[in-house]
Amino acid sequence: MSKNNTTNPRPVSRRQALQAAGLSAALGVAALGKPAAAVVRYEGDLAILNVALGLEHQAIAAYDAGANSKLLNADQLKIAVSFQNDHKRHRDALIQFIKRFHGTPVAPKASYDFGTITSAADIVKLAQSLEDGAMNAYLANAGKLENREILNAAVPILEDEVRHNTVFKQLLGMDVTERLKY
Amino acid sequence: MVDKPEVNLVGPALEEKNFRREWLRLAGTASAGAILFLLTGDTNQLYAQSKEGDLGILSAALYLEQEAVAAYQAGAESKLLPEGVLKVAVAFQSDHKYHRDGISGVLKSLGVEPRGPEKKYDFGRLHSDKDILRLARDRESGAVLAYGTLASNLLTKAVLNFGANVLVDEVRHRTILNSVLGIPNY
Repeated sequence: MSKNNTTNPRPVSRRQALQAAGLSAALGVAALGKPAAAVVRYEGDLAILNVALGLEHQAIAAYDAGANSKLLNADQLKIAVSFQNDHKRHRDALIQFIKRFHGTPVAPKASYDFGTITSAADIVKLAQSLEDGAMNAYLANAGKLENREILNAAVPILEDEVRHNTVFKQLLGMDVTERLKY
Repeated sequence: MVDKPEVNLVGPALEEKNFRREWLRLAGTASAGAILFLLTGDTNQLYAQSKEGDLGILSAALYLEQEAVAAYQAGAESKLLPEGVLKVAVAFQSDHKYHRDGISGVLKSLGVEPRGPEKKYDFGRLHSDKDILRLARDRESGAVLAYGTLASNLLTKAVLNFGANVLVDEVRHRTILNSVLGIPNY
């Protein structure tokens, strides 16, 4: 590594300095000019992100199990595929954040035990239960996230989980008018 | 009690658009505890932040909730909703009252008398149950956008937790209304 990494070898004109300052302000980049070692890892956030990633892997696998069972009708399958795509999008976003903050994304398990699945209703119940768990996990952890950017990414994910959960609750004839306790 | 809605084909949409813009502007200026917002009642944290920004965001949230309460009231009083749908509408209105009361409580704790609802809301044509459901759905959709956007301004964790729960309510409402209206949720 060159020592020039920590000191700028070239003189900086006033205009360049102002441009850089303007850019920094515009982007809200407080860490501009700090050495790479100063990058914050957000350890707590990384732990939360990895738990969330584990849930996304599990959800993707559950929808795979549902689709592969051939028990779902065309409409149910359409919902399952759409929701699985959402979870794949979540997964990819989480992996991106974990890598960006120098963490190691947790890998999916080699296999998941989803219990006995003998009907479409079993699959919908499984999916509802997982979506409910995911919703509560994001809800419980949102306030623990330190990094604003990660929080912003988590909000639409939470919205997706609530939507999925609500759709399944409706399909199962569950009460959708009950407000969570808060 | 809400006045009988007047016929207005373009007003509501424009009004909503303007409100969203205003909301987003307020959300953009909101400070950390701005949003202590929805209610933790922790005035120490609230006072620690920009009071002006906090009041702006709280007032905007209150407006939104009051409008939603009025919209569901107009729907209920129209007698156009089938019994099952009416039951859901009443439950959703109750959620918005819960949000409204929470926000009002925070404003009062700040020494600010919360503004009451508008004397009259123009919800446009309400000639069928679908008109009402669309009206409610649009309000819920706006609320999801508003509360979702607020997250970027939340610095106070207790407020964030409350706001996240409100957001969950709004998404749940929108999903159900979409479903009743035949709007895909997937």
